[in-house]
Amino acid sequence: MTAPDGMIYELERLGKTFDGRDLALEDVSLTVGRGEQLAFVGPSGAGKTTLFRILNLTLRPTAGTLRVAGTDVAGVDGAALRDLRRRIGTVYQQHNLVGRLRVVHNVLAGYLGRWSTAKALLSLAQPQEVETAAAALARVGIAEKLYARTDTLSGGQQQRVAIACVLVQDPEVILGDEPVSSVDPSLAMSLVRLLTELCRTAGKTLLMNLHSVDRALAFFPRVVGVRQGRVAFDLPPDKVTSDLFGSLYEGAEPEDVPFILRDGGSPSSRVCRPIPGIG
Amino acid sequence: MVFGGSLLLSLRAAQVDPRVLFAADARANVARFVRGMFPPDLSPAFLRFLAVPVVETIQISIAGTALAVLIGLPLGLLATSTLTWSGVLHERRRASARALGFVPYAGARALLSVFRSIPEFVWAFMFVRAVGLGPFPGVLALGFHTGGVLGKLFGEVLEDVGPRPLEALQAAGASRPAVLLDGIVPQAIPQFFAYALYRWEVNIRAAAVLGFVGAGGLGQRIHLAISLFLEHQLLTLILAVYLMVTLVDASSGWLRRRIV
Repeated sequence: MTAPDGMIYELERLGKTFDGRDLALEDVSLTVGRGEQLAFVGPSGAGKTTLFRILNLTLRPTAGTLRVAGTDVAGVDGAALRDLRRRIGTVYQQHNLVGRLRVVHNVLAGYLGRWSTAKALLSLAQPQEVETAAAALARVGIAEKLYARTDTLSGGQQQRVAIACVLVQDPEVILGDEPVSSVDPSLAMSLVRLLTELCRTAGKTLLMNLHSVDRALAFFPRVVGVRQGRVAFDLPPDKVTSDLFGSLYEGAEPEDVPFILRDGGSPSSRVCRPIPGIG
Repeated sequence: MVFGGSLLLSLRAAQVDPRVLFAADARANVARFVRGMFPPDLSPAFLRFLAVPVVETIQISIAGTALAVLIGLPLGLLATSTLTWSGVLHERRRASARALGFVPYAGARALLSVFRSIPEFVWAFMFVRAVGLGPFPGVLALGFHTGGVLGKLFGEVLEDVGPRPLEALQAAGASRPAVLLDGIVPQAIPQFFAYALYRWEVNIRAAAVLGFVGAGGLGQRIHLAISLFLEHQLLTLILAVYLMVTLVDASSGWLRRRIV
């Protein structure tokens, strides 16, 4: 069910309160068109991860409305919910893969939204549709790791496995919840570029939580600032002034404020290196 | 502090007095008892006779532990709160659905508790009356008692599994059974195995003793040896149990290294 005007996400005054006391999100209104790419920035605890967990249908909002491709998610349950979830892919910061399983199984997990339980069970013994997994791994540059045990890979490689899994899932939207925050800074830029290019080529919508402001400004045509559960601003990068950033991170812990050098650059952009095999 | 206080109270109430144990006449009694058992009865006739109950004891321990896994696994799955009603897999469910999930959880936990609380001995005694003498009631007794133990341990392992891979699988559209298969089981298997192997080690000792109530194995001979003051035979039997425990210990360690 696609909305005629091509909106993939419509948030109307969305709110989330945990246990009746912890107000994580308040009055968030936003629309995201198909194929758009957005970066979300803001201090830790601002509510960005909670927002993403609502957008990927893990949590229910406690206030307001969320429509995904025109469907109000409030009434959706069971098989319809599974189907909707399958259309949204998520790349997490870390610890989202099953370490003891081989890479091929973690990548094929992207099919679990489509496979029956019987096929899922079969695949654990004898991996099904391995060619797709191999192709996805090749696209992220680690084809040779197909049968390695996942916990033997480095952090950056595991994130690429996670991206390969999302490719296999083939969703309409990809959400990245700080996908590069635990990755070697020299590789992080390349991973962000990889995701933005993959989505652009395939026409997928991309929403990414970023801790690094410079990557947000460099790669995304739309930057949303989140502070204390509310949207502080929603602008193209050239309109985002240093004053806006200052007030966004005001009062945050020093470690939490993105590192910006005196000349306005950031250390990570200096040491960026390409992913081997991809460029 | 509370722990220390409870410990002291318990020692007092249980009339624990090391001085009694180490008093001269106590030491002398123990020494006489132990000396009297030597040498062990190693006559070929007795050893040949023992071969059958020894093998039978090992068989009872293996079959009993296997039955325990068969009983403990499904009950353990039900006795896992994160699978039935709480945690990230149930975030979006209505309160009524979650309450419905609580019922099998509570039921499984209660059943496992009952299985665990009834000592193997009592189980064996009951099964002997149900199916007669021999190793079968021993297997059943170990199966049910250890099933209660393993079920509880399995449930705890399942609850302690890392939640983030589960959230990721669910968010990709995996059904709850798929999340179980792909996310929970692979994380839980090594620990399941370790627990099952550990209980096998415990059960070899338990199997040896169950013969007291006629449930097969060496227990019957041990009972006889004690009752008829056949101290040399008793020592042989103790050595036999020791050897079996060592054997099972080594095997389980080898298996654990290979699989886990």
